[in-house]
Amino acid sequence: MPPPLGGSIPHTTEPPLLGLLRSASGRFALLFTVVFAIAATAAAVVLWWNTAGALDRQTEAAIRADAQALVERHRAGGEPALVEALDDRITVDLANESLYLLVSAEGATLVGNLEAWPAAANGESPWIRMPLIREGTVSEARLYRVELRDGMRLLVGRDVAEKLRLRALLTEGIAWAASSTAAIALAGGWQLRRMLERRMRPVHGTAEAIGAGDLTRRVPLSEHGDEFDRLGATMNAMLDRIATLMEGVRGVSDAIAHDLRTPIARARAKLEDALATAPDEAALRSAIEQGIHDLDGVTRVFQAVLRIAEVEAGARRAAFAPTDMAPVLADIADLYNAAAEEHGQVLETSLPDALPLTGDRDLLAQAVTNLLDNAIKYTPQGGTVRVFARAGTDHMEIGVSDDGPGLSEADRRRATERFFRADAARTTPGSGLGLSLVRAVAQLHGGELRLRDTEPGRSPPGLTATLRLPLA
Amino acid sequence: MGFILVLLAALAPWPAAADQAVRVVTDNVEYCQVLAARLAGQGGAHASARHQLAGEGLRLCEAGQVRTGVAKLRRAIRANQIH
Repeated sequence: MPPPLGGSIPHTTEPPLLGLLRSASGRFALLFTVVFAIAATAAAVVLWWNTAGALDRQTEAAIRADAQALVERHRAGGEPALVEALDDRITVDLANESLYLLVSAEGATLVGNLEAWPAAANGESPWIRMPLIREGTVSEARLYRVELRDGMRLLVGRDVAEKLRLRALLTEGIAWAASSTAAIALAGGWQLRRMLERRMRPVHGTAEAIGAGDLTRRVPLSEHGDEFDRLGATMNAMLDRIATLMEGVRGVSDAIAHDLRTPIARARAKLEDALATAPDEAALRSAIEQGIHDLDGVTRVFQAVLRIAEVEAGARRAAFAPTDMAPVLADIADLYNAAAEEHGQVLETSLPDALPLTGDRDLLAQAVTNLLDNAIKYTPQGGTVRVFARAGTDHMEIGVSDDGPGLSEADRRRATERFFRADAARTTPGSGLGLSLVRAVAQLHGGELRLRDTEPGRSPPGLTATLRLPLA
Repeated sequence: MGFILVLLAALAPWPAAADQAVRVVTDNVEYCQVLAARLAGQGGAHASARHQLAGEGLRLCEAGQVRTGVAKLRRAIRANQIH
């Protein structure tokens, strides 16, 4: 069954271990415990190999060397020499751990300190490990069988009781170490899980509050500046962006309600008036044409709003391509030269030979056109409008400056809001959407729109609008 | 952690099966007497010291401390061989 839309993750009653595995912090803790256990096991294996294993290898080497010496003795002096050598070895065995037994081909004991030839020594392997009884206590013998001439057989070995005791001590030590390691690993895993949960709690709490409708909540950040703080900061930036977008949507809705109602109402009033008072058909037709013109204006505003929304949503990024903006800007300047002359203005250009970038050529052209529209609209007769562009090492600037009234600091901050119009511009035709689109285009290209006085301190100061775009 | 315990169990000495065991025959009073006789039969200097050590070894064996007694007698024989 699909989870309920907009609902939280359902909490069900489940076994604690399953709950632990479902939790990411639990899995991290488990992973930590497993890694810790593997490291401890590796240490134990190395320790074992270097101690108990070394003792075994040392014993086997001693037995092998002893057997080899006895074989040499037998080869040199025959049975009597071997018997004498064995008897000497048993007599002066100060450590009391050597084991020998020499039997004839018939199985009769010739010399040795073992009671009888053990059945276990008749196997395929010359090495035998078997229980050993001395003074009524059970120990362990490590024996090596040697087949001699004339059917004689020899057992050479060691009582490894001391080594077994050492091994038992080592085993006990490793068992204790393993228990301590297990306890530490579990405690560490539990602590790790708690730590992760503690660090995730603010993020979780904020997400829950946002889900409950409190959009003002943000993730509190600690002073650590670690991954969790970076996650919190990213989440806060995302929430700020969402809040801005929602504010924008709300602003657009309000603006549409307020700003478009007026021209629609005006068009309706004109049509109603013409219907009631038009003296002839020509006057009525003229009124209808005026109404259509007014409604076309409304449609254009809607199209502009939709285009801004499309740009802000990043839907146009797919149209990005390498392009040279220099000829595009030159064409636009040529196009507006006539309009500037018509207004008695001078249009100057300061453009490089080439201005390569990767972006949406049409949108950038539209942005520059909007800036030029504004500049020509607000520059007085005899003023100068300047189109400029320059490329730096890591960014480029495309701008339009004018000698118009400029914008106050407060107006500059709001100039890119949709439908914003400065008080001084209320009487000038326009929708208040031009700079909104320019800013959206700049942001789509990873850049920004900067507004400043053309000549600070001069009256009027003029306005310079600059698109600052990254080259990479 | 469990793996370590399994490893230790696998490497630990197995329980001895006494019925399949091999028996050492030099840990008894008779062998003490054999060693004492051998020591007494050895020539060389320090006869009184040897006699004393042999006596101590035999006393330990008869007192039930066979391995200690055997060790003492062996040390005496060994020392005598060296001298």
